[in-house]
Amino acid sequence: MTTPSFSPETTPGFPGIFSKDNLNLKLWLGIAWLGFLILPWYAAYDGFWSFIWVTDGYPTFDEYSPGILQITMHDRWWLWPVALFLLLPLSALSWSKTDPRYALTLLFSGGLGFAFTLSQGFILGLHGWGWEFLGDVFGPTEQKQFGMGYGALLVCGGFLFMFTQGLAARGAIKGDVFVCGSIGFCIVLVAIFVFFPVGRILINSLQDDEGNYVFSLFLEKITSHSIWGLDCFSSNLSCGVAWNSLLMGVLVGLATTVLGLAFALLVTRTGMQAKGFVRTASLLPIITPPFVIGLALILLFGRAGAVNVFLEWAFGIPPSRWLYGLTGILIAQILAFTPIAFLVLIGVVEAVSPSMEEASQTLRASRWQTFWTVSLPLMRPGLANAFLLGFIESLADFGNPLVLGGQYEVLSTQIFFAIVGAQGDPGMAAVLAIVLLMFTLTAFYAQRRWLGKKSYATVTGKGDAGVHVRLPKRVAWMAYLTAAPFLIMSLVVYGMIIFGGFVETWGYKHNFTLKHYIAEFSLHWSEQYGLLWEGAAWNSFWTTLQISAISAPLTAGLGLLTAYILVRQKFWGKDIFEFLTMLSFAIPGTVIGVGYILAFNVPPIEITGTGVILVVCFIFRNMPTGIRAGIAAMSQLDPSLDEASLTLGAKSFTTLRRVLLPLLRPALVAALVFSFVRAMTAISAVIFLVSADYDMATSYILGRVEFGDYGLAIAYSSVLILVMLAAIGLIQLAVGKRELGRRESFEF
Amino acid sequence: MVRFPFLFNLSEGVNMKMIRLALLSMLFFMVAVPSFAAGRLTYYCSTDIPWCELMKKEFEKRTGIRVAMTRASSGETLTKIRAEKSNPKGDVWWGGTGDPHLQAAEEGLSQPYNSPKLSELHDWAKTPHTATGGKTVGIYLGALGYGYNKELLAKKGLPAPKCWNDLLHSAYKDEIMMAYPSTSGTAYTTLASMVQLFGEDGGFNYMKGLHKNISQYTKSGSAGIKASARGEITIGVVFVHGAVKQATKGFPIEAVAPCEGTGYEIGSASIIKGARNLESARKFIDFALTADVQSMSAQVKSYQVPSNKNAVSPPEAPDVSSIKLIDYNHALYGSKAERTRLLKKWDAEVKVLPR
Amino acid sequence: MSNSFAVEFKNVTKAFGEVQAVRDLNFSIQTGQLVTLLGPSGCGKTTTLRLIAGLEMVTEGQVYIGDNDVTKLPATERDVSMVFQSYALFPHMTVMQNVSYGLTMSSLPKPEVHEKAQTGLELVGLSGYGDRLPSELSGGQQQRVAVARALVLEPEVLLFDEPLSNLDAKLRRRVREEIRELQQELGLTTVYVTHDQEEALAVSDRIIVMNEAVIAQEGAPRQLYEEPVNLFVSDFIGDANLVKSTILDIDGSHANVDIRGIRIQLPHRGLTPGESMVAIRPQSILLKQSGTEDGIPGTILKASYLGDHLEYTVECALGELFVIDNQIQTQQPPGTNVSITFRPYGVSLIPES
Repeated sequence: MTTPSFSPETTPGFPGIFSKDNLNLKLWLGIAWLGFLILPWYAAYDGFWSFIWVTDGYPTFDEYSPGILQITMHDRWWLWPVALFLLLPLSALSWSKTDPRYALTLLFSGGLGFAFTLSQGFILGLHGWGWEFLGDVFGPTEQKQFGMGYGALLVCGGFLFMFTQGLAARGAIKGDVFVCGSIGFCIVLVAIFVFFPVGRILINSLQDDEGNYVFSLFLEKITSHSIWGLDCFSSNLSCGVAWNSLLMGVLVGLATTVLGLAFALLVTRTGMQAKGFVRTASLLPIITPPFVIGLALILLFGRAGAVNVFLEWAFGIPPSRWLYGLTGILIAQILAFTPIAFLVLIGVVEAVSPSMEEASQTLRASRWQTFWTVSLPLMRPGLANAFLLGFIESLADFGNPLVLGGQYEVLSTQIFFAIVGAQGDPGMAAVLAIVLLMFTLTAFYAQRRWLGKKSYATVTGKGDAGVHVRLPKRVAWMAYLTAAPFLIMSLVVYGMIIFGGFVETWGYKHNFTLKHYIAEFSLHWSEQYGLLWEGAAWNSFWTTLQISAISAPLTAGLGLLTAYILVRQKFWGKDIFEFLTMLSFAIPGTVIGVGYILAFNVPPIEITGTGVILVVCFIFRNMPTGIRAGIAAMSQLDPSLDEASLTLGAKSFTTLRRVLLPLLRPALVAALVFSFVRAMTAISAVIFLVSADYDMATSYILGRVEFGDYGLAIAYSSVLILVMLAAIGLIQLAVGKRELGRRESFEF
Repeated sequence: MVRFPFLFNLSEGVNMKMIRLALLSMLFFMVAVPSFAAGRLTYYCSTDIPWCELMKKEFEKRTGIRVAMTRASSGETLTKIRAEKSNPKGDVWWGGTGDPHLQAAEEGLSQPYNSPKLSELHDWAKTPHTATGGKTVGIYLGALGYGYNKELLAKKGLPAPKCWNDLLHSAYKDEIMMAYPSTSGTAYTTLASMVQLFGEDGGFNYMKGLHKNISQYTKSGSAGIKASARGEITIGVVFVHGAVKQATKGFPIEAVAPCEGTGYEIGSASIIKGARNLESARKFIDFALTADVQSMSAQVKSYQVPSNKNAVSPPEAPDVSSIKLIDYNHALYGSKAERTRLLKKWDAEVKVLPR
Repeated sequence: MSNSFAVEFKNVTKAFGEVQAVRDLNFSIQTGQLVTLLGPSGCGKTTTLRLIAGLEMVTEGQVYIGDNDVTKLPATERDVSMVFQSYALFPHMTVMQNVSYGLTMSSLPKPEVHEKAQTGLELVGLSGYGDRLPSELSGGQQQRVAVARALVLEPEVLLFDEPLSNLDAKLRRRVREEIRELQQELGLTTVYVTHDQEEALAVSDRIIVMNEAVIAQEGAPRQLYEEPVNLFVSDFIGDANLVKSTILDIDGSHANVDIRGIRIQLPHRGLTPGESMVAIRPQSILLKQSGTEDGIPGTILKASYLGDHLEYTVECALGELFVIDNQIQTQQPPGTNVSITFRPYGVSLIPES
């Protein structure tokens, strides 16, 4: 237990420096001082992993100097307070954690230090004042500074964790340092990488063309007839985009949830053969660049597509363009997003306690009644989260409505063209994005209300060896009937895609050729240079693989950590935080891409043109799936499991790792698979963030598609699909199975 | 039994893992600024990939300057340059419809440069240069027109269209695709061309007539001809070289340069304001206007008309002399005010009409 | 500051939003004792236990464990371990892994961990079950694993949250005896939460009765039973008939009390002459043949035979009385008129009435 303040171990001076007391504080204080005294304060070097600065004038050269020399040598006097806020907490080292001064000192210096370090970066930028009005108030300045480097980064990290340790010492979050730190960490990250860029672009909605703030303009735009019009009820004109989007989102959300549930039930609760095959086949669409599906659908159902040609030949029905419009969007989106619902639901369906089902049966409920009254309601967190994901994804998706939407206008396409169209109108884009967010927010609260405060814990600390009740026949048949068309469809589409890579011109000239693969992926052996990666695609291929492999574990980790915080901890502003985490996911990628450039192209955080910005963008765009899957799975775990671990002396981090994580394996797989795959197939945000050194596969493929080189695009996509299949296999192998000790349990 | 109050249990390895995790994740949120070193060029390209790469490799070969290339459509590139305004990362922007280049010039995103090669250019290539005070220059010309699917046309027994006014014929009802003028540069060029060709009222009347026959407005300019190539629609309104390209890919597409005369786009190049490698960027513009460089475009199946008088036009390229080009007023129709006015008018008077 | 108590609460309040789960709680628990927190559901007893464990943080006041102020320390850093109502066995770990879990966290060397865990399992009679998963054990066995898992840490304080509520009546009696034996053998300070008063009386050194977020009474089991301080305690601990009475006068430590004409002497418990309530245990009411002198006349309404005793409901001037009669030979049928008197024990004045 904590040593009282007068114990010999902690006499004044630096008494406990080698004691294990306050170890955490020493660690972060040390890191912060290291950042201040040793590492370059600014990031004026050649890239994050470039160490040119070590030999190129460090430590005295202006751009490479550490914080302390920036103050003393380069006259950057405004950094003095940083030193002050770093000195103060040294005194806390001599106090015990229960001493009120300890908490106060850390809160004060950590909080103010963090706020100061960050805001000075914003106030003084690359060209002097960060905001124009500062120049008006203080007059022009000669001073300037670059983006933050290693030094500033470590100092900020140190301040942040000092602050959270102060909070923990005050008893916040049950005094748990790890959880306090995690919450602080997640909030700061979400604020910087979600709220800041999104806010940066949404602010456009209040500005007119000259950049003045005009609220009435905003009102005029947001109530505009083109958004909310109801003409489709009174005439043959179309309704406002908002209604179109809403209808599409709800339909896709419902359909993907039902399909996902059908697959989850089939795989876990029936004696069906070939489960592995069904699982893989149902996941196929998630691993495809979206426009490839759209293209395949056109070749299949378009006016000149196989189905229409057949109908004309067999029944004389003239081919029509029925695919284009809501129908086409629905088919494509349901194909694309069902796997996500499936991933979320499979763990949830499987975790429903067999005993509860058995209990229901002993209470004279039939299998049918048991399913409807016990099993299904216990799956609610999964159903709600699957629906939410489907709804949001559908609203934010822009590729499918673009290719298949025809005259059916939705918010995401309108937003895209408001930004990049001939009539560039970022204000309108921001307004539309706000409308879209209003829908997301509504869906978010609707699912909250639907779940209510009920408990869905079905994995408790009491061993439960029961056998899952076999699915009632009726339900099983319903599941088969729902899933079968989807399966057939996705197999046909995939057959076509693979086929498309091996023919001269997909959809027109179908003679076999390997030239697309050769153009993209040829290897050449030369006596002089050894192996040459000649194919045009190799460069973007390796970059994509690397960026995806880096971002996937970080995304899953941060997602599950956030889920843990949201499910298991209580803190002020939790609901707002939860909604903020979904912002970057709910908004179309185009908006995010532009927002990221606006926010991160200038100091203090200048990361455009690097691989870092891609990784960061993927993390925060894909994290919500990890969060939703984590929340759904975690609400099935009895909280007394973590509490037991805590009272047995395990830290929260250990508890998370040893108790929760093994029980969350299906959610972990879902998060990893999703984030890896999404990083490989995402387009819209990426278009704006790729750079010469970091070109991504999808932006390359899109370039090919834009100019009609479908063969090349599809050959490349097919290779990506294979890579992703292999990656999914590896992920499953690496994460392993969840052991619940139930007699029959199927794992994803 | 004693339990220690410290927070990370060293022997368990949690401590180190935790630190590593935290550090690693923080490491990723850092910064890198492209180098200022001479002999580099950041090049934004808005044509198709092979042409972009050809230009990059050829420029590197001739000058020894290292080129970092990013490819995106012209709308996207303009958006990117606009967003990067406060700290520009690109040096030169080459290719893509002239319209966004004009917009960039008007918004002050590009800077003037008078290349010594200007004298070798066709007059039409110099109009954007004079209209913007030297901020952008023409590199190729693409005439507006349309393309139709020969097989589909024959199957339906429709007459082959030759002029703009042919498209108004009721036989083509639901057989034509074009893009929304507000989302696509191609479609805006169409609107502006019709206004210049038939006068403002006549132009809008034409658009209203065309509207009756449109099956679908697409978002992207080239979507119409791509759909036509695959037999999804009979006629797509598009730049002539786009239609030619589909034909050379083997699709049954016939390109039409309408008989009344037509507008055109001028593919342009601009130097971005605040370019860090200004010298390299200027060298690139000179290079891009050189005759033999422009002659290379046929190698990568691009069939626009080159802007250098001495460049060899690819045989597949539409013969400019056979196309009646109108005197397109880039200064007026490239300005934001006029564009916004025309688009609003189109939305209000054409889009709302029943079809 | 030195403190001979294992656990001490000073002015502890815990609020969840507007609701105060625990209000201004003061108590201390001596080292080596088993103290029960007893009360109806919602009284705050589980919250109190979780406050000791560090699973909840106090809103106001201080919590001490041993000599240390642990008010702001997280659960991990408090030297306590807890047996949960739901056992909270980790479903993905074997019995052995479950029991070793806490030991591993204390960074003991591996052989020692194994040895201690083995001893723990032996202690609860499950030495051969180490390799099984919790789901392969019966309810009683799982419960014992949970106890072993908490015991092996030899914590400063061991906490039980209604550990027997999932067991059947017979098993419950056996396990509670086992717990008590283990606790005494190892001299562990233990806090035990239950709503079952019989269980509380059977295992505790001391009982803290809680009602509506505050302590109703604290004391040894016998003290609580025989001298309840208020109506709630008298009724909650065992059954009691609460009747009106009059204190006539105080004579030394005793009061002369009149209950509907029956005079008895009871410890006065600080009361002064006047109206007062008396709690009478059902066993302390004697039913005699009607017409006997001094008795209060009454009529039997219900009579039931429970094997080892008879239970009667009797109507009289005091209201309906609940009576337990150990004389099982003669069962009096309903309708019989009786005369009611009281035994000299099991009758107590209630100070806070």
